[in-house]
Amino acid sequence: MTTSTKKKGNVRVLTRISSIALFFILFAFIFAKFVSPYDPTELAVAPPFSSPSWAHFFGTDELGRDSFSRSLYGGRITVLISILAATVALFLGTIWGFAAGIFKGWLDEVLMRTADAMMAIPALLFALVCISGLGASFVSLTLVAGILLSPSTARMARSALLVEISTDYFTAGIASGLSRWKLIWNEVMPNVASQLLVQFSINAASAVMLEAALSFIGLGVQPPSASLGTLILQGYAKIYNSYWYVLFPSLLVVLIILLFNAIAENMRISMESDKSSS
Amino acid sequence: MILVFLALRVLPGDPVLAKYGASAGATPENLDALREEAGLNRPLIVQLFSWLGGIAVGNFGNSYFSQLPVSQLIWERLPVTIELTFLIVLLSCFIALFSTFLSVRKPGKKIDRFLENLTSLGLAIPNFIVGIILVITFSLIWGILPSRGYVPISENLFENLKLMILPTFTGAIVATPYLNKYLRTSMLELQAAPFVRTAEGKGLSHSNILYRHIFPNALVPTLTMLGLIVGYTLGGVLVIEYMFGLPGIGSLAIESAATRDYAILQGVSILIMTLFLLTTLLFDLACGLVDPRIKSNK
Repeated sequence: MTTSTKKKGNVRVLTRISSIALFFILFAFIFAKFVSPYDPTELAVAPPFSSPSWAHFFGTDELGRDSFSRSLYGGRITVLISILAATVALFLGTIWGFAAGIFKGWLDEVLMRTADAMMAIPALLFALVCISGLGASFVSLTLVAGILLSPSTARMARSALLVEISTDYFTAGIASGLSRWKLIWNEVMPNVASQLLVQFSINAASAVMLEAALSFIGLGVQPPSASLGTLILQGYAKIYNSYWYVLFPSLLVVLIILLFNAIAENMRISMESDKSSS
Repeated sequence: MILVFLALRVLPGDPVLAKYGASAGATPENLDALREEAGLNRPLIVQLFSWLGGIAVGNFGNSYFSQLPVSQLIWERLPVTIELTFLIVLLSCFIALFSTFLSVRKPGKKIDRFLENLTSLGLAIPNFIVGIILVITFSLIWGILPSRGYVPISENLFENLKLMILPTFTGAIVATPYLNKYLRTSMLELQAAPFVRTAEGKGLSHSNILYRHIFPNALVPTLTMLGLIVGYTLGGVLVIEYMFGLPGIGSLAIESAATRDYAILQGVSILIMTLFLLTTLLFDLACGLVDPRIKSNK
């Protein structure tokens, strides 16, 4: 008993720390205008390819722009794309999974086999094909990442729904004459919301990864705006001039992914311990 | 397959325009003539069937740009991808086996916890960032390994392998955590199985039980996982080939995506998906060989 409460306490602390860290980073991104010490487009604030210093935390790039300021603005685009993509995935995936779970029968078969087929294709290849067709832009990146992440969300939503439908309260609700739709909206939704939130966080992490990878192969947001992935691409091309240039945006990407993952993992653990203790 | 084709055609974006749109003297009439030549103005359904018919006899069509047959372009570059994938899978199996045995010997102890944390870190890092960190450490700071280029095996085996070291490690570092996590979980689960207790009761040593009784049983689910890993590696080599300048089908796909050369992109997509399905099938069959119980169930 005591060990489980202790573990739960640890999880709570971890969740809190990672959420605070993430919010801190997000805050810096959102208010990049006030936080960043330089204008990200201002040329030659220092000699090109300067190493990190107190004046320029991340050093400077090939045109003498401040890498720290550029990373903040880039992070803003990256995180915005990933959160929007995760929202698209949540929306599509929930409808997809719920439709399969509610109607069952052949529609369930068709929907879930489609999800399996989509998940079998390597994500990056799928994205490559879609983006090269749509053209690389903010909107197409968001949509493609969102669509790519929706099948796994659909599977999760479907299995969560099936668990809820098999419970006694649902049967009792149906027996007392409530409509299925009302039950699902009013009773099932709040119950699966926390699981969907975990999936949202996982999706956001995957979307950051996908955005960075697509930008890295040159299919991301187009210049002059630059996401973290674009910065990594540009920095990698100049890696022999200064490796600080590529290193910091890369570490920032890893940090954001880790934090999203940590929040998801900790939410999941605390959810499970809530369930087992009640 | 049809999905790939439609995705590329229905979505806006014109390869002819991408090729000549910016050059001087491109009149609408010229562009139309080029579309005619490439068969791009025929009805979609006609295009689809002529393409599918082509694939059936191994003809992927011609590149819109170089006019070379797509199958030739792919054949030239396929060996690089296969070599890289093979090396990555081999190395990640090796690391995964080694580290799993290290952690399963004493579950919950320091080494195990350390490896577990390393695994979750590995799951969070995109492959090209692993590559960047490796390039910075080994090529720039220590200067012991080359970061770009390719020499065919037939020319110089040693040089070839030297150039493959960084790409292989990049891929393996990303693929290993998945294998590791899976193998560790299934081995720990099996430690509670009744047959392990029987073996302990017989007085067998701990390591004997681990290697001869638990490991073969954990192998079956891991083999299925390995099939998936091969598939994901096939997807992952796309970026790895591109960043290390290896002329494989992955970098071919990325180049053709940039120039909207759909003929190549379609061909490569189909090929990668086919390879993926084939490996999954192959590993499923291998499971039957390793574990006769699966066969007898049918």
